[in-house]
Amino acid sequence: MVNVLVTNLPYLLRGALVTLWLAVIVVTVGTLLGTGLGVLATGRSRILRMAITVYIFVLRGIPVLVVMFLGYYAFPALGVRVNAYVAVGVAQIVYVGAFTAEIVRSAILSVHPGQVAAAKSLGMRRAAILREVLLPQATRIAIPPLVNNALTAVKQTSYASVVGAWELTYAAREIVERTLASFQIFLGVMAIYFIICYPLALLARWYEKRLAVSH
Amino acid sequence: MTDYLAQTAVLLGSLWPKLVDGFLITVAIAAAAAPLALVFGLVLLAPRMDARAFISGPTVAFIELMRNTPLLVQIYLIYFGLPVLGLYPSEFACGVAGIALQHGAFLVETYRGAIESVGARQWDAARAIGMGRFTAFRTVIMPQALIKILGPLGNQLIVLAKDTSLVSAIGVMELTMTGKLAIERSAASAEVFVTIALFYLAMTTAIGGAMRLIEYRVAGRS
Repeated sequence: MVNVLVTNLPYLLRGALVTLWLAVIVVTVGTLLGTGLGVLATGRSRILRMAITVYIFVLRGIPVLVVMFLGYYAFPALGVRVNAYVAVGVAQIVYVGAFTAEIVRSAILSVHPGQVAAAKSLGMRRAAILREVLLPQATRIAIPPLVNNALTAVKQTSYASVVGAWELTYAAREIVERTLASFQIFLGVMAIYFIICYPLALLARWYEKRLAVSH
Repeated sequence: MTDYLAQTAVLLGSLWPKLVDGFLITVAIAAAAAPLALVFGLVLLAPRMDARAFISGPTVAFIELMRNTPLLVQIYLIYFGLPVLGLYPSEFACGVAGIALQHGAFLVETYRGAIESVGARQWDAARAIGMGRFTAFRTVIMPQALIKILGPLGNQLIVLAKDTSLVSAIGVMELTMTGKLAIERSAASAEVFVTIALFYLAMTTAIGGAMRLIEYRVAGRS
């Protein structure tokens, strides 16, 4: 019974490697993009603030799968030929970016305004206030939700298989179609995802606890 | 440009009835899965908070497995796994079950967090004035926990509404699947998914608004 899983494990692990690659790129670029936008969302430009607010509102309100399909069909419609990985990758980066921006924005806003007033009265400039006062405190608050955000992004890479990008879940479906061993294969795949995701969950929880103690 | 707009309008007009049908199926999936998830979370609550490790241990293991693996794979496991056991539920039922199971696992942690945040002092005080365990939970802990639950509950329901799109992967003709087929069978393209995105945005915004209204009412009453 378990044999099916063992013989197909190398193929699944190759899929897991693609999943990991996709996840690392999406999480890294998405988090960087979202952090930048989150900082700008607390800035002085009103137009920029409004634009970012709309971006966050729209993206958070629609399913990531729909954004992936949108990316998949929008690139060719604009006359750009890209493969499925680029289409779903860009779509996911934009999606993760919106969630990250909201986390970073609210973390910065949660720092007591008295801190900014104090920094200003010391004669600190805006950039210095952001770098020395706001970001260090906001980072501590933002880390647990950002890690959970990354965890969600890892799980969401599996949806790329629906749009046609080959990765772990796609590989699993191929094997199940061939062997009909749905339980062994899908439970095995769940185990692989769990091994990737659970450490992230533990990390977020550990950091949250540490924050609670230090307050 | 005007040509393009006119063509797109005609195209979307012809697809409109199908999209509305798909949207109604999407709403039906969410409407079926949400109460099931809320109840399943409640069912898990007692074994999750049980002091005996042989009860809480397996419950925690199940919850963590559901929370840390993709919903899509869980839906596949149900849809392709149950026939092996001789059960042939519909695609719709498999999708609803998958969504309810994962969201129930997320909700039980939300419930637990809210109950624990009310604090042991409230519990001790209620017991000290002679309340039974059930009365203390019903009249002291639960009303306070309820207020704290509403915010995260609303967020979870929005995620649930968006997750209904995954049911398209097993062939249910909901909104996302309708869009995919429309593009494969007609001259339509990305415009269809822009329209679909707006449908989802309307649904999640409505849920968010409703939850905020309820939160406002409940908070105002206490």
